[in-house]
Amino acid sequence: MGRMTFVVRRLLMLVPVAIGVTIVVFFMIHLIPGDPAQTILGIHATPKAIAILHRQWGLNRPLVSQYWLFMDRLVHGNLGLSLYYGTSAASLILSRLPATLWLIAYAAVLAVAVSVPLAMIAATRKDAVRDHVVRAVPLLGLGMPPFWVGILLVYALAIHVHAFPVSGYGTGFGGHLHAMFLPALTVAIALAPVVIRSLRASMLNVLGAEYITTARSKGVPGPRLFLRHVLRNAVIPAVTVLGINIGFLIGGTVIIENVFAIPGIGQLMINSIFQRDFPVVQGVTLVFGVLVVLVNLLADLSYAALDPRVRFDR
Amino acid sequence: MKFRMSTAKTLITAGALVVLAGCGSGGSGGASGPAATGGPVHGGNLVFAAVQDAQSMNNTTVFDNNSIWIFEQIFQPLYTVTDNGKGVKPWLATSYTMSTDKKTYTFKLRPGVKFSNGKPMTSADVRFSIDQNRKATQGWAYLDSAISSVDAPDPSTVVIHLKFPWAPLLADLSIFANGIVPNNYGGQTEAQFYQHPIGTGPFKWDYWHKGQALKLVRNTFYWQKGLPYLNSITWTDVANDNTRELQLKGGQAQIDQTPAWSTVSSLKSTAGVVMHLFNSTQTNYLAFNELRKPFQDVHVRRAISLAIDRNALVKAVLFGNGKPANSLFPPQVPFYQASTPGLQLNIAQAKAEMAKSSVPHGFTTTILVPAGNSDYVTIATILQSELKPLGIKLNITQLDPNVVNKDEQSLKYDMVLTLWTMDIPDPDELATFAVDPKSGARSFFTNYDNPTVVKDTHLAERTTDPAARQTLYNIVQAGAANDAFMAFLYYSPYPYATTTNVHGFFVTPLGNMHMENVWLSK
Repeated sequence: MGRMTFVVRRLLMLVPVAIGVTIVVFFMIHLIPGDPAQTILGIHATPKAIAILHRQWGLNRPLVSQYWLFMDRLVHGNLGLSLYYGTSAASLILSRLPATLWLIAYAAVLAVAVSVPLAMIAATRKDAVRDHVVRAVPLLGLGMPPFWVGILLVYALAIHVHAFPVSGYGTGFGGHLHAMFLPALTVAIALAPVVIRSLRASMLNVLGAEYITTARSKGVPGPRLFLRHVLRNAVIPAVTVLGINIGFLIGGTVIIENVFAIPGIGQLMINSIFQRDFPVVQGVTLVFGVLVVLVNLLADLSYAALDPRVRFDR
Repeated sequence: MKFRMSTAKTLITAGALVVLAGCGSGGSGGASGPAATGGPVHGGNLVFAAVQDAQSMNNTTVFDNNSIWIFEQIFQPLYTVTDNGKGVKPWLATSYTMSTDKKTYTFKLRPGVKFSNGKPMTSADVRFSIDQNRKATQGWAYLDSAISSVDAPDPSTVVIHLKFPWAPLLADLSIFANGIVPNNYGGQTEAQFYQHPIGTGPFKWDYWHKGQALKLVRNTFYWQKGLPYLNSITWTDVANDNTRELQLKGGQAQIDQTPAWSTVSSLKSTAGVVMHLFNSTQTNYLAFNELRKPFQDVHVRRAISLAIDRNALVKAVLFGNGKPANSLFPPQVPFYQASTPGLQLNIAQAKAEMAKSSVPHGFTTTILVPAGNSDYVTIATILQSELKPLGIKLNITQLDPNVVNKDEQSLKYDMVLTLWTMDIPDPDELATFAVDPKSGARSFFTNYDNPTVVKDTHLAERTTDPAARQTLYNIVQAGAANDAFMAFLYYSPYPYATTTNVHGFFVTPLGNMHMENVWLSK
């Protein structure tokens, strides 16, 4: 099977995943008690006013009929109208998606940028002091809750030093790069320890391999040996770990988005759940599901890029 | 013969005939900031970190405060609320006359008022705006229910005909829902218009990135010469209390809406920050469902009300920044009576009331609390221990806030914590909502019914003599207090933190902000 066939097949697998996600989310959100009309009307909600809104939104129909309508709209690329804002749920999600994608991508880049050199430092001197330091210190990042790390970073680098904004998303590429540094670093601090440990372990394995001894005996210089032979072979397990963790991260961005007031889809999801804004909750969950599948697909594809022996027929 | 009521008279009447007792809720009040060096300066963008995003700019249908406080900068009513929240003052109207039968009001419009698109405001715009609010099936139309028709005999005169004499008319007209928009929405549909609304207010529409930021810019046609001072205001959606505080400290925002009570004390001593506690009309209550036993029994309700240490609640929840409540009405509402015998802590009397009740040996009951609301959980926990000596076992049930609201409004609860803030500078809206079982809210969702209190509440609506209204509202407040249909818990101020370069920031007890008076020093 060629690479393209593999990609198409994996993309087609998105369809049953997406349908499964919509079924679970649709019925869960509708089965929990609470009413969007009640939320919007507050203490002014009268049975008549609630009934009018239910009729407007189609919430007076049977649940199965509502789901069918949702799926019918979905195949036409329409996620329906946000009950809270009265605007298109799709446009609402699309306007918030870039901030979340920025956060995830930026955090992944920072995590890799921190992890690779640290893992190399540790692996080249196994059981030396620097190895122990590299293995121990990043664990602090794993042990501390991200919202706390975020607040510490803000106090240190935004309030005292004024090097970065306290929060927000910024405008333009440079603005995003600047404004999103602290949130991305917060996520990277939590992500890096796992990647460092995984990378270090696989580097140690590779360093003991016969082909490395052969390369050394042939006089391949240190940096070249590390980049072309050690890192390339050692990085595959780390990519798996990174892919899985980014999958978790996609669902967990809400805390960081909340602490740093980033207008992403995590925040949108939480607000929409409290407002019982069904179309938006369904839409965001669908996007989360698709993103997780895509990240895993990307991880699979990167194996082939890193290791030519990887075939797509298994 | 017609009675002519001048601007000055309106103000004097509104202020002087109200019994002023108790002023504030521990708040400092007053306009913002330390004295600036030099006078106001023009320019600058002010960032207002809000707890949540606006919902809609449609002033006739929206109940959400974060929307209201923004579109009040765009739409203005004929009369506006005075700074003490107890009266009205002329705004887009300059004066009015009332017919002898008190059923026709003739308003003169302020000359020279223009919309932000440069077109002059006329009586046709006023008629259209009030008529739109009257038609709003999902909104504030009930406040205009006494109006039978609105006429526009000439461009600067508006005549409002009433179905019957209606004392709260000016207060009703001062609500944002009666704000003036262009006749026929300037040729657009209602939906199109509210996407980028036009009004006579100090600021005009720029953009709204939903869930992120909403920006208004200076209206160059604004009728108050020299105002507003600011070039623009950006409201940002910052849900996290801590993040808003950090934004303020880091200079990224100039106003922090509703800092957490636990931080008020430290913010007062933070360099570069001014902590404001503006007098508000917010009142917190403990409601009893009279559809369920034993809350039909007045002695049970009185016993519970007498067992509550309100000072302890103020200390635990508001960190001392509030005041125990004695009346259904808060002190910032006209006709509030300071001497209302609201039941306060008296354990001996509470036990005596329980002894007289249908459950002298106590009972088990439940209080509904919205999950995640730490203030309400604290109150419920305190109540749990305070009711124990009466033999009342109180179970705390935490549910999703949405579910708590639904159960409260469907009267599927024993006890629930609730609150109220005023929308108009007149007690009628609250009184009707709270004590009339035939109103949509079934007496604040308690099913309380005292025919004398109901009768006097409706009599007060049609009594235009302020002294007579005061007498009626005294009876209403005393009746509601003695019946203890809700336990009046505490009055709290509005907390706002600003940076020290913000000047002229003030919030009325109804929550209105005149952002045209706000300026930023260098």
